[in-house]
Amino acid sequence: MFSKLKLFIQESWLLMISSVFFGGLLAVTNAAWAPKIAQNEISKYNTLAQSVLTAAQTFKPLAQPLTLDVGKGKTLIADVREGLDAAGNRVGWVFIAEGSGFADKIRLVVAVDAKFETLYGFSVLACSETPGFGDKITIKNGFYQSQYQGAPAGKFTLAKFGDAKKIDHEIVAITGATVTSRAVVDIMNTFVVQIKENLSQKGLLQ
Amino acid sequence: MSENNEMTVGGAFLGGIWTEIPVLRLMLGLCPTLAVTTSVKSGLTMGLCVVFVLICSNAVVSMMRNLLKPHLRILMFTLTIAAFVTIADMYLKAFQPEMSLKLGAYIPLIIVNCIIIARAEACAAKNGVLVSVVDGLAMGIGFTMVLCFLGAIREVLATGCISFSDTAVLTILNPVDKGGWFTPCTAMIMPVGAFVTLGLILGAVNQLSRKKA
Repeated sequence: MFSKLKLFIQESWLLMISSVFFGGLLAVTNAAWAPKIAQNEISKYNTLAQSVLTAAQTFKPLAQPLTLDVGKGKTLIADVREGLDAAGNRVGWVFIAEGSGFADKIRLVVAVDAKFETLYGFSVLACSETPGFGDKITIKNGFYQSQYQGAPAGKFTLAKFGDAKKIDHEIVAITGATVTSRAVVDIMNTFVVQIKENLSQKGLLQ
Repeated sequence: MSENNEMTVGGAFLGGIWTEIPVLRLMLGLCPTLAVTTSVKSGLTMGLCVVFVLICSNAVVSMMRNLLKPHLRILMFTLTIAAFVTIADMYLKAFQPEMSLKLGAYIPLIIVNCIIIARAEACAAKNGVLVSVVDGLAMGIGFTMVLCFLGAIREVLATGCISFSDTAVLTILNPVDKGGWFTPCTAMIMPVGAFVTLGLILGAVNQLSRKKA
């Protein structure tokens, strides 16, 4: 027993010491930079939320979290916030919506009016879609984003051709990026409809 | 390189930036080379991260080279490299969040970048700290140079300019949408652009080497 333990220590002491050393190094680094990383994420969220819900000064998280069904038996706790103006009046809702894109997960910050009837639009929090094609969803007030600005907050459908300037539930896909265009429509359909139902059930919509 | 497989500082430096330049001579690190060179800024950031990881991992591996057990050496290399890659990843998330998002999984994937483990095995595990650090620095510089060059060609042909930030944009070929003559080629920032450009660069380097020989 003792000889086995001795052999084990002889063979692995360097690995154990190195693991402790690098673990400590990473712990120190994390302690030093984690607040900055968290602050960056909050700043980015606030900047994006402010850009889509311009009337809001602050964003107040819901007291009770909303659980959404995101398909395939999975649920997700939605990050929904109330947009308040300087006087504390509700001017809209902002939430993070996410789903699979062509390359990786797409994360959006979506803004809706106070009655949850009209979309103000969305901004992109994270997107690794194909440069020059799928990443056109990130263009502020571009061809794709504009179609959601003022659209009814409900189910959307995707069309390959159509009038993109007509603001309704039909979204015209980006040429060469149908998968990404459909992914955003699916994300919207998953989140907008369920959040609206949840808020309505909780009596939070005027 | 001397007979007992030990390198000199000068040899290590020259090797990294020309005679054994990772992408063009050793054909190592091709995955990030093709994936992140859509712009000079992305290539430069990836290159600098690799320089940091190469220098640190080579230094640590060199310091522990006499203690390494043969069957544990790959495990020790991976542990060392993973620690420094995680630090580089956290640094980008803290101080370059936009670039961290843009490079996505390719920064954590430096852990499995062949250049780093190859240099740990071929150089750091057999040489002193100074030579290993110089080898890491030179290999990193060589890798960064190729990434920046490839990124510059692709970015210029795809957009007509090189962007260093939202405000600092160097226009090389005046694009049509800004009143110029150049029609940007979107394919250059797609994978096909990376393969074609890298192939042409490799062909040119091989041609140069053949002429010298």
